[in-house]
Amino acid sequence: MAPLTPYTYIQCPCSDVSPLSRSNDPNSPSTAGADDEERTFDPRAPRSNFSLYPLEYLLYCEDCHQIRCPRCVAEEIVTYYCPNCLFEVPSSNIKSEGNRCTRSCFQCPICIGPLSVASIDSQPDPNLLAAPDQAQSGTNILICSYCNWSSTEIGITFSKSNGIHAQLAKIRNGGAPRLTAKEHKEKRKEEAAQSRLAGASSPESEQNLDVETQFANLKSFYQGQLAESSSGGNGLSSLGDLGFASPNSLSRIMSIYTGGSLHDKRSRSRVGTMREALDSDEGLQLADLDESAAISKLQSEGYEATISTDQLTEQPPRLEDAHLHGRTRFTSELRPIPYLLRTKRSKRCPVCRHIISKPEAKVATTRFRIRLVAGSYIPTITIRPLNVPGGASPTSPPDALVPLQPAQFLLTFRNPIFETVKVTLATPSKTPGRFPSKVTVLCPQFEIDANTDVWDEALNKDDTDKDRRRRRGDENNNGGNGNGNGNGNGNGNQPEAGKIWERGRNWVSIVVEVVPASLRLDLLASTANLAGGEGIDAGPLREDEDILEIPMFVRVEWEVEGGGDEVGSAPGKDKEATEKRELAYWSVIGLGRVGQS
Amino acid sequence: MSRRPPKGEYIETDTGNKVARKATLVGTQNIMLGGKTVIQPEVMIRGDLARSVPPTSSSGGAPANNTAVAIGRYCFLSRGCVLRPAGRLYKGVFTYMPLRMNDHVFVGPGSVIQAASIGSHVHIGARVVVGELAIIKDYVRILDDSIVPPNMVIPSFSIVAGQPARVIGEVPEGGHEAFELRDLYKTVGNNPQPAPS
Ligand SMILES: [Zn+2]
Ligand SMILES: [Zn+2]
Ligand SMILES: [Zn+2]
Ligand SMILES: [Zn+2]
Repeated sequence: MAPLTPYTYIQCPCSDVSPLSRSNDPNSPSTAGADDEERTFDPRAPRSNFSLYPLEYLLYCEDCHQIRCPRCVAEEIVTYYCPNCLFEVPSSNIKSEGNRCTRSCFQCPICIGPLSVASIDSQPDPNLLAAPDQAQSGTNILICSYCNWSSTEIGITFSKSNGIHAQLAKIRNGGAPRLTAKEHKEKRKEEAAQSRLAGASSPESEQNLDVETQFANLKSFYQGQLAESSSGGNGLSSLGDLGFASPNSLSRIMSIYTGGSLHDKRSRSRVGTMREALDSDEGLQLADLDESAAISKLQSEGYEATISTDQLTEQPPRLEDAHLHGRTRFTSELRPIPYLLRTKRSKRCPVCRHIISKPEAKVATTRFRIRLVAGSYIPTITIRPLNVPGGASPTSPPDALVPLQPAQFLLTFRNPIFETVKVTLATPSKTPGRFPSKVTVLCPQFEIDANTDVWDEALNKDDTDKDRRRRRGDENNNGGNGNGNGNGNGNGNQPEAGKIWERGRNWVSIVVEVVPASLRLDLLASTANLAGGEGIDAGPLREDEDILEIPMFVRVEWEVEGGGDEVGSAPGKDKEATEKRELAYWSVIGLGRVGQS
Repeated sequence: MSRRPPKGEYIETDTGNKVARKATLVGTQNIMLGGKTVIQPEVMIRGDLARSVPPTSSSGGAPANNTAVAIGRYCFLSRGCVLRPAGRLYKGVFTYMPLRMNDHVFVGPGSVIQAASIGSHVHIGARVVVGELAIIKDYVRILDDSIVPPNMVIPSFSIVAGQPARVIGEVPEGGHEAFELRDLYKTVGNNPQPAPS
């Protein structure tokens, strides 16, 4: 099994797991019950999946003093742009032209690689090739340089090398001209005019309609029906209003699709049923159940000619084609995929609505106007195995934790803020789940010095961390600092309960000792029997159940100057008074996989 | 960290570049290093694949330079990776196009880079192939074993993976600092310092 890099995930306060809120509330009666099991946050609970994030994904609201996560922030789109040509698309264009690039940016329908325009003229003219950015006439194709697919495979070439999107919209696979939505509309108008002149029904009444025309036909048909029924209605009864064919249901449905323009008060009291569409002029399309052509194509070209579900879902919606009614497509029916646009988005705090992240609008810049990331407010935690010199542990970290054999890990907390913070950690003595591992945090309470400016660090370069470390340790040994547990451990010492392992400018390392559980299912059953456990789950090991994850409650406290206007500040103190701040959250420390004996 | 490299494994230049003696730089006159860049052993940079057609005069009055590979500051080229300018037809004649790389670009071991340009703060994993004339913008992470198709454009803040590579995610706001390579720079060379814990 692949070795696992240790990780830390943090829970956003937007998750509403009840055991968590209970443990947060000191006034809750259930805390007095000391029901440890209930209060522990279980990182493996299905709900936890949705609330745990790596620190990089978390933002921080300076007004609420709280962590915010991708799940709870409110996003607003700042800019739309094409990920291929990097051109910005005005939001007004999104409504009229859709959410795909309308220049010449396409993805391969076979492998989704980028397609590029290539000229396939028989005699290459050096002057034409010199200017790939300018339009050139002749024969051009779209070609995939990853899988070598080209648009000639679907029988499509282009006369110009730019504006491919517009050209492609007018060509069917095979090269036949295709009507765009606008042209369809005009054609329909013409046809209507002609049929009125001729006084006869349309000669194409049973034609295959494209999706857009079909919708337009259905819409005009039902609008006509509504007008008829409302004009003929006598307001006798509303009994018929529940059926599919009732005018009220219909006008309700149509108002959903047409933005309420049809929903007039006049039509509220109508009665009777309406007839359904009868031919393609009215929008009726009979599903084509004759699949013999597809079957013979399958027989002649085989499985290779069919497309995968992935390829089908990547295809853009094709409103200019007939409805497929679930029929499969062949590779010869695929179309190049115009690139979906991408966005730059700003993010708001869900509670106070302040903006906590806002990128510059321009596509070319990567700067942010506002970027309040949690990493600049809460300590980062890094994890590595501790190899005590002269100890039994091997020189390189083991691939897997050995069951029942104690292992020590170094957790390093780095303080990003310019105040000294006090950190208090709490973990359950045994990890939750079927295979509880023992956990001991040797120093659950410590202070981390304030972060300093990068320039201070550069100026004090000679004052290496090591010296600083030792000095700190001495200071603490002599004076003590009120916590009684801030003692530095120097180098080469054995881990000791209540003492930090190492400290530096703005970081502190502490030792966590674990005794990994045995993953043997037979032991699980026997211990459960001894304990008289009811309903033991002795099923096989589940996915990732062998990962040793420690739920850890982190409380960070610090003081800030001033802040007299804050709600929480005590009255009667002068303006110079400091204000206490506190942030507490659950986190999960993933240490590694436990080996199976 | 356990094994100190033998003294003098790297040549350290005035501008702080650390170039392994066992790296292969072909056509050094066409290779530009911005400073504080690390080139590990067994890296190959093909400076000999320089433009054979001079750039058109229309593109500014700048003096004709023949740079084949331009590398910015604090780049890190891991063991066994290859930087190779791509070629294409230009005015009907085959020529190589320069490969430009901005600051803080990490190239993982065994990767092959044939891009036209790579922005700043880009992390390319191990055994990645970046196809000919691909354009990679800033703050992009390419995961191990990806194959970036030729001519692909990867916009800023993309996480990219797969064969062929596709954008699979977005670099979160809090992930920008992880692209900084200043600390990594200090950990290699003839007097390496341990990584800060
Ligand atoms: Zn949240
Ligand atoms: Zn585009
Ligand atoms: Zn392809
Ligand atoms: Zn807020």
